[in-house]
Amino acid sequence: MKRFLETGNFAITEGAILAGCRFFSGYPITPATELAEAMSLRLPQVGGFYLQAEDECAAMHMCIGASLGGMKAMTATSGPGFILYADPYGWALGCETPLVVLNSGRVGPVSGITGAPGQGEFYLMRYPTQGGNFETICLAPSTAQECMAMTVEAFYLSERFRMPVSVLADQLITDGFEDISVPENDDEMKEMGLRVWPRKVCQGPEFYPYTDELDIPPVVLGHNTGGICSDWTPTVEGYDIEEVEAHHKHAYRLIYKVRNNRHLFNHLYEKKFMDDDPDLVVVSYGTPSRVVNTAVIKAREKGLKVGSLRLINLWPFPDEHFTRKTKYLSVELNWDGELVREVQRATPKDSEVHFLGTCGDLPTTPDLIEAFENLLKNEPLSRKGWVLEEW
Amino acid sequence: MKERIEIVASGFGGQGVVRLGQIIGETGVKQGLRVTMLKSHGTEMRGGYVRSQVVLSKDVIDSPMCENPDYFVALSRAAYERFKDTVPEYGTILYDPAFVDKIDEGLKCTHKAFPAKELAVEHFNNPLFSNTLVLGAMSRIVDILDKDAVLESILEIIPKFHDRNRQAFQIGYDYVN
Repeated sequence: MKRFLETGNFAITEGAILAGCRFFSGYPITPATELAEAMSLRLPQVGGFYLQAEDECAAMHMCIGASLGGMKAMTATSGPGFILYADPYGWALGCETPLVVLNSGRVGPVSGITGAPGQGEFYLMRYPTQGGNFETICLAPSTAQECMAMTVEAFYLSERFRMPVSVLADQLITDGFEDISVPENDDEMKEMGLRVWPRKVCQGPEFYPYTDELDIPPVVLGHNTGGICSDWTPTVEGYDIEEVEAHHKHAYRLIYKVRNNRHLFNHLYEKKFMDDDPDLVVVSYGTPSRVVNTAVIKAREKGLKVGSLRLINLWPFPDEHFTRKTKYLSVELNWDGELVREVQRATPKDSEVHFLGTCGDLPTTPDLIEAFENLLKNEPLSRKGWVLEEW
Repeated sequence: MKERIEIVASGFGGQGVVRLGQIIGETGVKQGLRVTMLKSHGTEMRGGYVRSQVVLSKDVIDSPMCENPDYFVALSRAAYERFKDTVPEYGTILYDPAFVDKIDEGLKCTHKAFPAKELAVEHFNNPLFSNTLVLGAMSRIVDILDKDAVLESILEIIPKFHDRNRQAFQIGYDYVN
């Protein structure tokens, strides 16, 4: 096991290589530039390919090409680049192409600030492309070490589900340095719980089955597989067929292969102080959850019955954590409130759901504890210079 | 050592604020500690606002934020004004008088003036070495940092000017007490 100080970007690169990624195409953007840089150095060392594209749209299309050629591929960007993935993301979903996509969130909208974190793409990760009739899988790590683990997991899931899987980190994790341990052999990988699924190749004659079945190998073009693919409604054999009945079956697969196999990723969450039915459940993901954890520990020391739920599997949204009627507080790196809407939807009717957002920087522990105290005393939330909206 | 040590460095782009945080972080790893180092910055390579937040701890680090830094390295007037009030009574502010011309006498924390830029120009005729000078000073001020480990990290992370960096490090180390 090697241990050193590196960025989350570096940790993701190492994770991708451990998972068997041998193709990366991207367009540099802070805070994901160092990932492209690390890939350009590391991939040739392991016999892989790094290709800088002319833009993000082309980059992801090239990753699809590499994946359809039989390689494990990845691309990475930040919010302003992620929106340019809209077209290829749809392709990858529709053609059931395994890929891993990293989005390193910075404060927005538009270009915002390169060096400040944001969580404004919560819903974009669910709806990264047009047309509907699909589910997406999104994992959100909160440390550099977890970035590596979730990248490996994303590759694992993308192979088994035959679809793009996204990793949503934020600028503080990808750009920030942290001590990380990188396994050097298979035993160490197993010890760290890192799972790798090899690339298998669909040999046909059925390439696009109309079922929710998993572990059908991905379509690879050429190599005597007879595989074909297109962005139109496919027949089972992969030919175009623009018929509603066939499209129903295709859409059924894209939605239900994910919904019916959630056990493969819905264990990805972290609960702290949740065993005694806390009076307030703080929900968060990514870096803010680390401040939340610190605040919750301090709150418990003060006798406040607060628990923390940190989501790693963001999409499909894990409704099962929100069955209890209590107070919820969503802590996010945005001021418009995104995760809170989903918490509101998932919680039992008449549950109290509150929101505390920060814009461009993490919340502070005292601010969080003050919010916990206020909510437990049924007082409104407030903060200097910013009156928080009641949800 | 305390449960966790928080170190903030802030100034403008080009001064090596991120490099400084990275070197302290690398030292922490060498000393077997858990480390986080956040960086916040603008778009510019040079001139914009930059901040590094380093946390060193023997245990897993939850919050990587430095809310009450034990040590604050102020390398610009704006940075000093922005973060001086976060430094607790037991904390220390190390500032370069070339950039921070006036300090807040009302603060209860310790102030240490360290003329990094002036020393760099005096000894090396180049302000580039301010950063290593500051690291020399830090390795003396921050109890937990091992002097040799800091120097080793500097030489590893900065591939050039090893001789002058060694000298600068020692000058910084000797200057403070």
